[in-house]
Parts: sequence; structure tokens; C-alpha cells
Amino acid sequence: MSADYLSQPLSFADAAPSSRNTQTVTPLSPYLNYDPRYLQAAQPEFIFPEGAAKQRGRFELAFSQIGSSVMIGAAIGGTAGFYNGVRATALAQQTGKLRRTQLLNHIMKQGSSTANTLGTLAVMYSGFGVLLQWVRGEEDEINTLLAGTATGMLYKSTVGLRRCAMGGGVGLGIATLYCLYTTATSGSKINFNKPYM
Amino acid sequence: MEEYAREPCPYRIVDDCGGAFAMGCIGGGVFQAIKGYRNAPSGISRRLLGSLTAIKQRSPIIAGNFAVWGGMFSTIDCTLVHFRKKEDPWNSIISGAATGGILAARNGVPAMAGSAIIGGVLLALIEGVGILFTRLSADQFRNPSPPTEDPQSLM
Repeated sequence: MSADYLSQPLSFADAAPSSRNTQTVTPLSPYLNYDPRYLQAAQPEFIFPEGAAKQRGRFELAFSQIGSSVMIGAAIGGTAGFYNGVRATALAQQTGKLRRTQLLNHIMKQGSSTANTLGTLAVMYSGFGVLLQWVRGEEDEINTLLAGTATGMLYKSTVGLRRCAMGGGVGLGIATLYCLYTTATSGSKINFNKPYM
Repeated sequence: MEEYAREPCPYRIVDDCGGAFAMGCIGGGVFQAIKGYRNAPSGISRRLLGSLTAIKQRSPIIAGNFAVWGGMFSTIDCTLVHFRKKEDPWNSIISGAATGGILAARNGVPAMAGSAIIGGVLLALIEGVGILFTRLSADQFRNPSPPTEDPQSLM
């Protein structure tokens, strides 16, 4: 009795078959003889306790951003690798099976390296974005700008201060362009309360 | 963090690919940091430098391999969902085996078979552990027992 009611549709008609003859109990509707104790009407039930202020944050978007970066990188790198491979194999006068294998090698090598680069950048950006959102407790375009700058600086952090600063500048520039683009398409002034990205 | 639900099927591929890449990037970074530290010549600065070099050189490659695995797995999973019209542990096991096989396709048939078996067994283990946990934790989510008093007495 304790387990099989889980697989049955909800009905209390034979909940206690031994105590009383339930053949006489014919309720109006199976929905009407429900114990009101189970309807907790005392407190309101919100999905998010603060109301509608909560939006999808960066963490929910991070994986798809990283994944699309990896896939775009693989596509670009694969195409470029195919182009380079065709040229290189033609130069080396390789034909047939050898050429096919070499083409595959070119595509795989260049595709994976581009995909890895773009994906790593996306991981850094998402990591910084999530971190900033968590630290600052809000989600706006300052996060985008800061995360872009930090990504550029981290990516170039091992090749000297000057190039690190340059990387940060490039990241800031791209993030600024993105923010300008989104504000231009959303048709308003820079909106510091805009969620995500 | 909020509840994290999986995306519906075609978009799940991108999501899984990204998740696998992030996992490989961070996990591979930690792993390579330790490995580079241990393999470097003595001296703390040299060890840290070796660790950094290893992270820079190897962790994106590990991440890329993870991403390819995740993306391929998810693609086959979604294909199976589309054709079999159901989602069950067999989908994951079949796609794990197929992914292992396909990704070893350039290494010859024996390597393909070995990878396929490893992939299938790995995913079967993961699914089995998942089912086990569901069974074990199912007791906590059981509904309170239905009221024993006669419904007529409430009227």
C-alpha cells in the first residue's frame, strides 16, 4: 500500500479498504474529496521570492556561449585548414590517398587549434562574467566591459606587461563595440539594468 | 546558483559541447598545473613556470578533446531521441559507444572497437550510478501517506 499508490492516479476511494465498505462512497468528482490540508493556501508560492526581478544570469548562458564559440572556431579553422591543405598538397604534388590524409590532417589541426583558442577565450570571459555578477550582485554592461578587459589581459598575461595591457585594451574595445551594438539595436540609451551578456 | 535545467534537444548539443569544454579547460588546467609543477626542474620559480607553461600548452588541447567528445555524444544522443522517440539510459550508452568508436575512426578497427567498448561501459556506469541515486533518494521525495479517515467525514 505504501508504494503502489505512487503509480496510480490520485484517488482516495480505496485508501482504507479495510476500515469501511467503500462501495457506498461515490463522490461527485474525484477532485472534490481532496483533503484540504494538502492545499497550502497560507503563503503565496513564487518561483523567485523577490518577484520578477530575477532573470537568466550569466551562468545559464555560459555553456551555450562556450559551446557556440568552440563550434564557430572549429568551423572557421576547419575551412581555413581545408584551404591551406589544398594549397599545400598541390604545392607538394601529393595525390590520391596521401593527399586525402594530408587534407584531413590540415583540417583537424587548424580546426582544433582555432576552436581551442576561441573556446578558451569564451571560458575566460564566462568565468569572469559569472564572477563579476556574483561579486557585484547585479548584472549590467559594466560586467561585460570588465569581463572583456580581464579576459584580454589574462589571455596575454604571460608575454609581458605591454602586450598584457594591449590584450586588455583589445578586450575592452570588443566589449565596448558589443555594448554599443546591443544598445543601438535595442533602440535606447545605454541601459545599465539590461540583463545578460 | 539557480536551478540548471538542460536545454531541449538541438540546442543541447551546443550546451553540452560548451560544458565539456569548460570542464576540460578547468580540470585540465588543474591537472596540467600539478603535472607541470612535478616535471619541472627544481626551484620554486622554475616549478611555477613549468606549471604555467604546461597549462598554456596542454589544457586547451584537453578542453578541445572534451568538447569534441561532448558535442559528438550529444549529437548522437539527440539523433537517437529523434528516431527512437524516447529518452532512456540506452540512448546514452549507445551514443557513448558510438562516440568512442567514431572518434577513434582514424586509428583502425581494433582501436575503434576498444574505444567503443570503453565509451559504452563508461556511460553505462554513469547511467547506472544515476539510476542508483534516484532509487536511493526516491524515499525522501515520497508523498505523505494519504489520509486514512473517510472523506465523507469532512463534508
